[in-house]
Amino acid sequence: MPGYRMMYAKEGPARYISHLDLLRTFGRAARRAGLPLAFTQGFNPHPKIAFAAPLGVGTSGEAEFADLELTEDLTATDVAKALSDTLPEGLRLLEVRLLPDRYPALMAMVDRASYRAEAKACASVTEEEVEKAIGEFLSTKKIWVERKNKAGGKNLYDIRPGIFAMSGKLGNGIISIEAELKTGSSGNVRFEEVLTAFEGSSRPLVQGRFVLYRSGLYAASEKEKKTLWHGR
Amino acid sequence: MDFLDQILPLVTKPARYVGGEWNAVRKNWGTVEYKVAFAFPDVYEVGMSHLGLQILYDIVNRRTDALMERVFAPWTDMEEKMRKHDLPLFTLESRRPLLDFDMVAFTLQYEMSFSNVLNMLDLAGIPRAAGQRTEGFPLVVAGGPCAYNPEPLAEFIDLFVIGEGEEAIGELLDVLVEAKRRSASRQDFLITAAQVPGVYVPSLYRVLYREDGSVSGVVPSLDGVPKKVTKRVVKDMDRAPFPDRPIVPSTEVVHDRIMIEVFRGCTRGCRFCQAGVLYRPVREKKPETVLRQAANLTRNTGYDEISLSSLSTSDYTPVREVIKSLLDKHTHQGIGVSLPSLRVDNFSVELAKEVQRVRRSSLTFAPEAGTQRLRDVINKGVREEDLYETTGAAFREGWKAVKLYFMIGLPTETDQDLDGIVRLARAVLDLGRKAGVPRGRLRVTVSVSSFVPKAHTAFQWEPQAPLAELKRKQDYLSERLKERGIVFNYHDAGLSFMEAVFARGDRRLGAVLARAVELGCKFDAWSEHFQLSRWLEAFRLAGLDPEDYAGRRYSDDDPLPWDHIETGVSRQYLAREHRRAQAGLATGDCRTESCPGCGLCEALEIEPSYAGGEQHAGL
Repeated sequence: MPGYRMMYAKEGPARYISHLDLLRTFGRAARRAGLPLAFTQGFNPHPKIAFAAPLGVGTSGEAEFADLELTEDLTATDVAKALSDTLPEGLRLLEVRLLPDRYPALMAMVDRASYRAEAKACASVTEEEVEKAIGEFLSTKKIWVERKNKAGGKNLYDIRPGIFAMSGKLGNGIISIEAELKTGSSGNVRFEEVLTAFEGSSRPLVQGRFVLYRSGLYAASEKEKKTLWHGR
Repeated sequence: MDFLDQILPLVTKPARYVGGEWNAVRKNWGTVEYKVAFAFPDVYEVGMSHLGLQILYDIVNRRTDALMERVFAPWTDMEEKMRKHDLPLFTLESRRPLLDFDMVAFTLQYEMSFSNVLNMLDLAGIPRAAGQRTEGFPLVVAGGPCAYNPEPLAEFIDLFVIGEGEEAIGELLDVLVEAKRRSASRQDFLITAAQVPGVYVPSLYRVLYREDGSVSGVVPSLDGVPKKVTKRVVKDMDRAPFPDRPIVPSTEVVHDRIMIEVFRGCTRGCRFCQAGVLYRPVREKKPETVLRQAANLTRNTGYDEISLSSLSTSDYTPVREVIKSLLDKHTHQGIGVSLPSLRVDNFSVELAKEVQRVRRSSLTFAPEAGTQRLRDVINKGVREEDLYETTGAAFREGWKAVKLYFMIGLPTETDQDLDGIVRLARAVLDLGRKAGVPRGRLRVTVSVSSFVPKAHTAFQWEPQAPLAELKRKQDYLSERLKERGIVFNYHDAGLSFMEAVFARGDRRLGAVLARAVELGCKFDAWSEHFQLSRWLEAFRLAGLDPEDYAGRRYSDDDPLPWDHIETGVSRQYLAREHRRAQAGLATGDCRTESCPGCGLCEALEIEPSYAGGEQHAGL
């Protein structure tokens, strides 16, 4: 059955749609679009839609990926056209491509993600100070964070190896921090964890909370990041 | 950066507060004359499961001169943040504070949501007392089933709409828009609104008290204000407005599916049931109306389930043909059909079998009482044989779990009736075993709620059993329902006690409610929030005894605090039904047997309407 890879944005009110609800939301949008959805077998069939990586509730996604399976051959353009008109506010289809007959699952491909965080800078903070703080943060050999384990207890986990890059800017009173982090089943670093650890490592630089964006999702080969596009 | 972005990451289920769902309507604020905020006094997931909201939202937003936006009770974590940051209660669509609206319209689905009504007014910065809302404040309106005894909220609400909202809202908005155009004063608004049939403006009435402090009547204090306010009723369900583009929540809600109301009303005449009186007469939609609405709704919502809703869907005359047509038409799209409530008979099992081909959840039946004697008292026309036949058939058809609903504390109930519940539960369990349901999977859930006497019913004169007695009955059952395979659960009796107080309350309870909210009462329908001790403290502070309300036995000719609200069902009929209950006599169904003379058709100049002729569904 034909598979389609979609790149979409998840912004505005749609930022607050949880991962589980997002599956339902796309399923309903596809139904409204009249797309011939393929369903999973079993007791509670659900549409075959698979996401690259869960996005934290509240974080905007600027270039998210999901695969969709249909029972009839449609062109990618037709799928894009139909689905664009039926997504709720904040979900925006950016591009759709038809997948080849055999293709690795998105979940298996995704290896890293790029993020951006923005917050109002404290009055006396300069760009140099932000850069310096990030430099010091990254120079730490190990960055331990607490994570809940399945047993209900807590484990310590070193996130430093999962931080591939991190930088900061200051403009118009807004501090903007960019980072590239390990994402996926072979290891996952959450941006919130990084920011909390970073904020704990320096004097307060921002007022209020950071607003978060995931700007991209990538596969990896060797040490390079690579696009998740795999289609024709 | 939006301020909301700063607090939403800190609360549970932030999707409750952001709107933007499919089919939500955001109108141009500047060009619309009259703005209504529909306020649901519970959380988003509960409120968005309410069909009435969708119906009224559609009607108002179709008008060019008005708009309706939504607001729900914020969960306690969100409330805390809002209070901390002085963020007033806002609507989901335009995110404007409620103070910017011309009208804030609450729906009253349940007495125990009253504390949330007051709390929401507080959060909106709107004075609670209607008398303190000067010019410029929104008009605070309330409707829904609990508006049929409006007195406990009368102090806080500017006007109540009695009856079916879709029938009244158009006329009400017409006069209010017109009043706004001529810059009418608040008092002028209220007097104008009181002319619309079905509208009750409590500030235009006086409450008369007797020497002992009880209510002897509610009478107009102004000429031209109706002595009795009669409910509004939709005459033709096929022509009644029904939204074909309802809002589709982006987060899971309680009823997350297409809801099509197949009929309104119920002919069964259970004597405890308030809905059975309020929604009379029965009005069925034609099959073609239901099928047309289903086709539009599947296209416009993308849901994968159609629920045929009503007070008793297996009573819908053409139910079988409608289900068949829906399945024929929509199964290949992966869309299923569900029925929310089933009667205790074989026909219901057949229907359930039809619709649950895919999903095999448990089946629910409501015998309500454990003995035939008591079922006759409450006029629940279910025989023991029916229950055995039905559950036996269900087990043979492959169901492994059934739920049985009962009430305790019903008028005339004795321990023998409780023994009857135990006997029925065990017999049903036995049928399951005999049908070969594996022991580990066989489950009979016995769910027990406490009887609450409601206004406008045949049992409106009856007292509720004392709290200690209700608890004793729960313990009595609990001790006897310990068998493997039986799951026994019951509702908090303290909650039913408070529900009984407000269900038959009068205007003096306003003071209690205000105290209770000050003491922190909110989300009282949620067991994790309800605290009887706080309510009892509120009563103490207000100098009233809740027992005087819940435990009161009225005599048939006593004035009742809700006498000025007219359902169309005559008092003589209710009194007759009450006497027949005491004599243990059942009364026939008005659909299949002779007219029991409730007086509604004459009073409201209306008739029951059946889609497929007069014969009974399934007979």
